[in-house]
Amino acid sequence: MTNCESNRESIGSWLDGELSPGESESVRLHLAGCAACSEVRRQLESLNLALKNQLTANAAEIEFLPFWRGVQQRINQKRPWHEEFLERCRELFSAPRMAWSVPAVIALVLALASIDFYLPGWRLGGPRNNFATVDSIDAHGRSVALLRENESKTTVIWLYQDQEGENEAAEDATKSGPAF
Amino acid sequence: MKLLKTRPSLVLLFSLLLVSIAGWGGAAEKDPQSVQVTIRSILAANKSDEFDAKLKGMEQQLKSLKYRSYRSLKDETKTVPWQGTQSFEIPGGRLLTVAPQEFQENRIALKVRLTEKDKPIVDTTVTIPNKGNFILGGPPHEGGALVLSISAATP
Repeated sequence: MTNCESNRESIGSWLDGELSPGESESVRLHLAGCAACSEVRRQLESLNLALKNQLTANAAEIEFLPFWRGVQQRINQKRPWHEEFLERCRELFSAPRMAWSVPAVIALVLALASIDFYLPGWRLGGPRNNFATVDSIDAHGRSVALLRENESKTTVIWLYQDQEGENEAAEDATKSGPAF
Repeated sequence: MKLLKTRPSLVLLFSLLLVSIAGWGGAAEKDPQSVQVTIRSILAANKSDEFDAKLKGMEQQLKSLKYRSYRSLKDETKTVPWQGTQSFEIPGGRLLTVAPQEFQENRIALKVRLTEKDKPIVDTTVTIPNKGNFILGGPPHEGGALVLSISAATP
């Protein structure tokens, strides 16, 4: 595209004040040095003037009230719920949104899987299953209780100090053991 | 939306990045080199109604033991290699030896031995969830009972 062609495409926008200051200055400089493009500008300005004069002359005869009433009526018109629902579904399941949902779902799954790593104390829906599996216990002759506490999901191995002569001072505290 | 229309490769790259992170995270979990073992020594007694604030996170677990007071005596964490052994000094001249055995399905198998003056009190092999714990209690201590919370986590 030559310089004149690209500038001619912008003359209309320039006249309407739609160009950025930089673009506007570029077109102005080109028009100052190009007779052919200045002629295009003059023609466009004449056309604009003719249109403006015509509209001004006929404006008094145009009835705007019915037009605005129609616009207002369409704004206030309540669509049936199913139409709105379908419209929302179409927006929700449109291809671009569905494509974005793939990484979003991956991110959500990763976040849920990482909760335990980053927030070990935080649990979704109460305490996690903390039960241990006891493969073997040898208490060397002592009594031992193996308990699974349901509320905190904890496994407790409790040793009873029931051998003769063993730490009699603490006998009272441990003889019965905890009341589970 | 505009981004997806103009740069679909960016969305694809983002998805691949997330999948790679997930894969890397999974691989890291499958091959832990060692285990962090933490032993919390607690004195459970019936002499008062004191509940040590340091044990706040274990309140529900300890309350099930039905003692009136709980006081933290000692906390110790050590890194133990697989098939290795670490000893923890426990109040009352006791020694707890922990040997991690294996890591399977996010559960850690531990061989645990509690001794007192070189005499074994208990030998047990327990499998606990990763970052979970179990309680070993009962040995008498200072007029109450010693409660040990044994937890293990892969780094």
